[in-house]
Amino acid sequence: MSKLGLKLLVLGAVFASACGVAACGDSDSKEGGTLTGSYASFPDYLDPGLSYTLEGWTAMYNTYLPLLTYAHANGEAGGKVVPALAEDLPEITNGGQTYTLQLRKGLKYSDGSAVKASDFPSSIERLFKLNSPGSGFYEGIVGAEKFAETKTGGIPGIKANDKTGEIVIDLTAPRGTFSNELGMLFAALLPADTPTKNLTSDPPPATGPYEIVKSEPGRSWSYQRNPVWAKNNGPLIPDLEAGNYDKIAITVVRNDSTQVNEIEQDQTDWMQTPPPADLYAEVKDKYEGTQFRIERPTNLYYFWMDTTRPPFDDVKVRQAVNHAIDSAALERIYAGALSATHQILPEGMPGHETFNLYPHDMAKAKELLAEANPSDTEVTVWTDNESPNDEAGAYYHSVLRKLGLDAKLKTINADVYIPTIGNVSTPDLDTGWINWYPDYPNPSNYFQPLLDGEGITPTNNINFARIDEPQLNEKITRLSEEPLGPEQEAEYAELDREFMELAPWAPYGTFTVSTFVDSEINLDSVIFNPTFGHDLTSFEPK
Amino acid sequence: MAPELHAEAGPAGSSPWRLAFRRLRRNRVALAFGGLLILIVLFVLAAPLWAKHVADTGPNETHTLEKIEVDGERREVVNVEGRPIGPVWLGAGGKYFLGADGRLGRDEMVRLMYGGRASLFIGFSAALIATLLATILALLAGYYRGWVDAVISRTLDVIWAFPVYLLGIALGIALALGGLKLGPLEIPSGSIWITVLIIGGIYVPYMARPLRGAVLSLREKEFVEAAVAQGAGPLRVMFRELLPNLASTIIVFFTLAVANAMLLEAGLSFLGVGVQPPDTSWGAMVGDGFDLLSSAPLLTILPGSLIFLTVLSVNVFGDGLRDALDPRSKVRLEAHAGLAEPEGTAV
Repeated sequence: MSKLGLKLLVLGAVFASACGVAACGDSDSKEGGTLTGSYASFPDYLDPGLSYTLEGWTAMYNTYLPLLTYAHANGEAGGKVVPALAEDLPEITNGGQTYTLQLRKGLKYSDGSAVKASDFPSSIERLFKLNSPGSGFYEGIVGAEKFAETKTGGIPGIKANDKTGEIVIDLTAPRGTFSNELGMLFAALLPADTPTKNLTSDPPPATGPYEIVKSEPGRSWSYQRNPVWAKNNGPLIPDLEAGNYDKIAITVVRNDSTQVNEIEQDQTDWMQTPPPADLYAEVKDKYEGTQFRIERPTNLYYFWMDTTRPPFDDVKVRQAVNHAIDSAALERIYAGALSATHQILPEGMPGHETFNLYPHDMAKAKELLAEANPSDTEVTVWTDNESPNDEAGAYYHSVLRKLGLDAKLKTINADVYIPTIGNVSTPDLDTGWINWYPDYPNPSNYFQPLLDGEGITPTNNINFARIDEPQLNEKITRLSEEPLGPEQEAEYAELDREFMELAPWAPYGTFTVSTFVDSEINLDSVIFNPTFGHDLTSFEPK
Repeated sequence: MAPELHAEAGPAGSSPWRLAFRRLRRNRVALAFGGLLILIVLFVLAAPLWAKHVADTGPNETHTLEKIEVDGERREVVNVEGRPIGPVWLGAGGKYFLGADGRLGRDEMVRLMYGGRASLFIGFSAALIATLLATILALLAGYYRGWVDAVISRTLDVIWAFPVYLLGIALGIALALGGLKLGPLEIPSGSIWITVLIIGGIYVPYMARPLRGAVLSLREKEFVEAAVAQGAGPLRVMFRELLPNLASTIIVFFTLAVANAMLLEAGLSFLGVGVQPPDTSWGAMVGDGFDLLSSAPLLTILPGSLIFLTVLSVNVFGDGLRDALDPRSKVRLEAHAGLAEPEGTAV
């Protein structure tokens, strides 16, 4: 939520929380009872075809299952793609262009209807019909681009046999990340007759251990056990846990201090977002190890520099900026919720090998800038207005001024920030703040969208540094076509170093999130998957 | 000239302005708040001196990792958990007198003084712009009447129809990115003048409408007819005959507009669409401190209190000025409330 919106909601939130506290009793968090949770805002959608936020994916991780999914595990182990509705991982043939999967036999939706192989193509077609933000992941399927335009006639690259349960997917080119993409929530199977509209207020039937039974957008939603799970789907998918609660109730509590308060008073079992910055240290000191745990997702926070215009067209200037930034200062600005890093691939991402080419050294930074002697030292620093990103931008602005550049700070509303800096016609796009949350744990999801020169577009551009190095572009393309293995991971590690030598970015850290539960929940049992967030089936009472 | 100001009999030879000054001098409450306003203005004007000679830092310089010596003890400006140092008063020779402003470790006292400059500058400039435009439009509409009045009045009605804050937020967001380009007038985004013009523009109808009413009334007076009979043109009548008779009303409106403009600026900056970072104003500081309300409440309380005191002093002083310049208005007001003595005994 934007800062403006947040502040406008303060009074309402105070009132609502007062009412909430008055209405709330102790949660019924015994095994078989109700697990209660709070979100700071309602997810973007409760429709697997549309949601593109961690909040939405957490909410639907155990409700809508794709053919493949991500292991219900913490850390790197949670990045492993495992079978869900499919019997096994895909058989990849035809030089990496054909994926063959077998649907498990006897699966049912929560309404009792059978899960069919043909539900997969209809679910993918639904993405295109809805203009879902996830449709792009499946445009590499033969005929998908045409279907995206016409929205009729089906996608010829997907063949599904309802009798045998076989699903064959043909791609136009090899795509090493396609298994990851089959594990995304966008590819979850829905009945073929699912309406082509946003179903947030009336979510479709589920295949996972829980089904959403009530959704009041903006306020709350709740789950109950999927009636077909225990006798039908559960035994067929033994790797997925059934969960320890009969019901799950999630409420939107917009005031994050109230969220903390409710956990401390055992009125709510879990909060999805981290505690607010001014309570973070207090909560960490008081509850770490018992009710609080820091989680390290694989995101990256960094400052980009436009490599095509002075002064950042000179690699020495960019290297000087990297030396000038002090991650220790940024760790304090993020109130301890930042884990410093100085490279493109964060810890936990396959291919990560720790290195730091630019330790903080202001004298060295000034020396490099003097060597570069840029003719133009006027730069505009862009950032959005959400805390602490605005403070990170203000710190960066201050550092550039100390370095000797004539920096001006431009803080704009978070709602329009990315479209604005992604539009190459926006004037003075010199440098700025940004973060990146990968869609799945594959290093290709960093290099291809963010650093491939062939991906630079006039609008919605996310190669903010506009770096275009043909040799590195070629390497990115080749690696993206290959399935990820030890050899590819080593090459990605090398690519990371090659890019950092060119210093198009000044990476400074990974923003940690947290698990904060009340005293009735066993913290050790809680799983935080790096892609889907908290796994609600892992929560268990003490 | 100025028949309205001769309503109260005074000593022979005293001008209306001198009479008003005498009345103002007798209003000790108004004078006290006027004095407070002067103190606040002096406080913010001293910002560069304090920043250079005492705090040794600018308003936007960050000191996140620095340590200072407070009464012989080395202390971090921002601790590892991101908590800023609180007020150290004179423990560090005046540095961080009121502590740091947040996780960036900027000197709160310096920011407060510079922020006050922005708040007062915007308050007075916006009020001045609103007053100038409102006066001109009121004179034109009230003097010419007919279609000129209709066009001006309906245009002002359109602006009036928008809630003040919604219009301010909408304009603030719209102009935050591309700045303002109006013919030869070009103001870059982030400039304090954008906020000044937004607030000044919004308050024009709120002053122009009552002023237009006053002009319509004055236009029928004999001294205007006399001036016209003597061959005075429209400009002379408007600016030499009507304007001086509006002076006391305009002055009173101006003081009220200063207070309103400061409040609107504070609201817009609190919401992030007023003064743009890294610059600050008291309203923006309240917004910045909001995130640390539970751990460092002074960051919100201090700028909030200064807004309160400044607006209160401007309002009380403005009331005193109104009573001095137009004593009958107070009598009328009190009579309406059933409190007044017979006319002539008040003041």
